[in-house]
Amino acid sequence: MKNDQWTNRLSEYIDGELDSSERAGLEAHLATCGQCFATLADLREVVARAKSLEDREPTKDLWAGIRAGLTQGSEPRRHAPGVSSRRFTFSVPQLMAASIALVFLSGGGAWLALRSSQSPEQRFGETTPRPRVGQLVTWTGHTDAAIADLQTALTQNEKRLDTATVRIVRENLAIIDRAISDARVALQKDPGNAYLNLHLANTMRRKVELLRRVNDMAAARS
Amino acid sequence: MFATLAAAMLVALAPQRQSDTTFAVPAGASLSVNNFGGGITVHGWAENRVKVHGETGRRGRVEVSIVGSTVVIKTGSREGAPSVIDLDITVPQSMALNLSGTYADITVDGVQGAISAETVNGEVDVRGGKGIVTLHSIQGSVTLADASGRIEVNSVNEAIELTNVSGEIKVETTNGEVTLTGIQSSSVDAGTINGDVLYEGTVTDGGSYSFGSHNGDITVSIPERANVTITAATANGDIDSSFPLPMQPGPAGKHRKTFKIGSGSARMELESFQGDIEMRRPQEMRDRMEDRKRKHNEHDNDFDNDNDNDNDHDADSDTSFSFDLSSVSAYATRYAAAYAPKYAAQYAAQYAPRYARQYARLYSKHYKDSFRFNTH
Repeated sequence: MKNDQWTNRLSEYIDGELDSSERAGLEAHLATCGQCFATLADLREVVARAKSLEDREPTKDLWAGIRAGLTQGSEPRRHAPGVSSRRFTFSVPQLMAASIALVFLSGGGAWLALRSSQSPEQRFGETTPRPRVGQLVTWTGHTDAAIADLQTALTQNEKRLDTATVRIVRENLAIIDRAISDARVALQKDPGNAYLNLHLANTMRRKVELLRRVNDMAAARS
Repeated sequence: MFATLAAAMLVALAPQRQSDTTFAVPAGASLSVNNFGGGITVHGWAENRVKVHGETGRRGRVEVSIVGSTVVIKTGSREGAPSVIDLDITVPQSMALNLSGTYADITVDGVQGAISAETVNGEVDVRGGKGIVTLHSIQGSVTLADASGRIEVNSVNEAIELTNVSGEIKVETTNGEVTLTGIQSSSVDAGTINGDVLYEGTVTDGGSYSFGSHNGDITVSIPERANVTITAATANGDIDSSFPLPMQPGPAGKHRKTFKIGSGSARMELESFQGDIEMRRPQEMRDRMEDRKRKHNEHDNDFDNDNDNDNDHDADSDTSFSFDLSSVSAYATRYAAAYAPKYAAQYAAQYAPRYARQYARLYSKHYKDSFRFNTH
């Protein structure tokens, strides 16, 4: 493999240690160099795997030997003991997990537990934010249960709504269900697609939001 | 003074078919209105008084009271099913509003306070508002113009339109378009399941913008000197821009691309499952919207639907009338489509109260259990 001026900078790039002009130069280079692009992908995979490893004490202190081998005046930065220098990026499943966990947090259990008269200030923005890259929440796997909770609540509450409204709500829930189904089918064909994972999570969030709103509305008319 | 009023004031506007009352309120007072069916219209004026006008019909009643620092207006019926009541309320411009209804259209104009408006079956149309502005409807479009602050707008089964709005903006519907124009914001989150999303507004350094649809196109304007990183993703649509975009490296496929413009400090996410994603220059977007509006108006005025922009409301006298007059059913269908909404509304307003009452009496004994009040 032919090395160029950027090949040895890829690791610094991943660690975010390039300044803005260097980063821009490398990114411009990556757009045209397939080899560097592939190497970057490999490096990222290594970093990702490394993160999953447990820290272990070395069998002996290697630092003295390493320091002796370094050229004078270029001692690398050391981090305080116990402080990890690892930078975390998240895999697609983690992203999906983060998104759907947020859905759950704003979902059935939360609705049932937290519903109370709130001021506009408190209510503003209570909707779950659209899932975004970088959110870290442990995936609980309870989204379907949350939706089921809200649907059960809706079945009880919808008696307080007129039949036309109930029909509209059910039609719109069906629209969301079709969108969820579309996303699931697409995901089966392309499980690693980050966009599809986020889209599914976001669409499920929409269903939770609608159920919650209608339940709120019905409860307010009791 | 206000405390005295609170204890003393309870005005029941009935049994006249329409009534007015006007009273002074101190600075900082708010308004709370609940009207089951009809309309809630609120205007702002430069006086420290509230004026309430109610079109109540014979059975309807309007109660005005003051609780703490809140003017509370409730409607009801003296007998039987809820009445359809139109409220026209004039308030100090800075008054905060909390408006709710079930079969109610809500209209606000010229108020510069916080606004909360929620209806189930009805449109919400607000011009003005500052601070926290939250507008909700299930079955009805929601429009907001000339507002600023923290904006949250929801519908379920209709479109949402925001014009000349600034601040933190969250907009969501399920089955309808989202149109945002003249927006000044560093934080916009707008989405729908069935419908297009259109954004024309600022892209501020460090801002956050997110637009999503499942079954619709996403069209956004990108100002010339914007510094933004755009992530565009679609499963079954295309991604298109009317200007060159520097693509970012990454595992981009046909359906997911990242572009960096300028420093890339703002973040913009554009996502549509079935639809296309388009990025346009602001002027191009404005031209397109003008064109769309013009076509929409032409369509509205072209009552015979023959695309001749005849602007006539009397299609059968138009010499350029082009469809086949021998086809009576086609003619009837088109004519009905053109005039039905107008005359249905007019005749419904005129006759509904009378016949609703008459038929309710007639059938209530037989269908007591299944009777549903359902008027608008």
